[in-house]
Amino acid sequence: MTEPDLESSDFIERLRAGDRGAFARLVRAHHNRLLAVARTLVNPADAEEAVQEAWIAAHRALPRFEGRSALLTWLTRIVINQARMQLRRSGREVLFDPQESEGDDALAHRFNRFGHWRQPPLNWEMAGPDALLTRDELQHCLEKNLAAMPDNQRLVLQLRDIQGMDFDAICNSLDVSASNVRVLLHRARARIFQLVDHFQETGEC
Amino acid sequence: MLSCKHLVDNADRLIDGAELRPGQRFALRAHLMICRHCRRYLRQLRALTAHLNRRAPPPADDAQTHSVLQRLDPDQSPP
Repeated sequence: MTEPDLESSDFIERLRAGDRGAFARLVRAHHNRLLAVARTLVNPADAEEAVQEAWIAAHRALPRFEGRSALLTWLTRIVINQARMQLRRSGREVLFDPQESEGDDALAHRFNRFGHWRQPPLNWEMAGPDALLTRDELQHCLEKNLAAMPDNQRLVLQLRDIQGMDFDAICNSLDVSASNVRVLLHRARARIFQLVDHFQETGEC
Repeated sequence: MLSCKHLVDNADRLIDGAELRPGQRFALRAHLMICRHCRRYLRQLRALTAHLNRRAPPPADDAQTHSVLQRLDPDQSPP
């Protein structure tokens, strides 16, 4: 998921010593990833601002970075805190307690009261030029659905499935218990699964 | 015998390689052996998460990197 030597103690030592070349490499490797994280919470302009502020804060704090978490986890945490601060200024808040998040399990209606499939998953077209997951219409549909997802679910999906961050690192970045992150991730994936299944059935979003 | 709903609720742990109690892992595997709907669910969920992973953002270009570095200390020229 990331260049392994960006987490090496040598590299971190160079950063702590104020090596500008090392910092430039860090920015190049992680900037867009952090931007994508910020965009899950705030609009694109605010996301740019949040990430820039986060780089300034990280640059200042690096000499005191103790390496208790991975560098990327630490940076992600700073970006999320910046974005949450912006949200608070506009009177919004992201809660990581799944009880508070709108929307239940998008697949719940597909089981009977004994927990067996009432509407089993369809067989997705996976091969060939018409493979479902590569169709443009589905990509648009996915974009729309991601945008409409509760913030906390979208953020967890971005970190885990899109960026491939370790599960423990996500809990650490968000300061949230593993069980809460599990629930959020499950709900986000269930929504997306339901969307693709519906698209397979109807060819529509 | 665990239900399909139970399998779907735990499919995330299976595809993430998360820790499961040995008995729980065995029960999920046993369910998958007899339930083709759940096998399909798991296979397609894996394909879906692999697909999402292809949306991972690329490294920043020179202009972006330069603009971040400039705002760190505007008085200094970048390296």
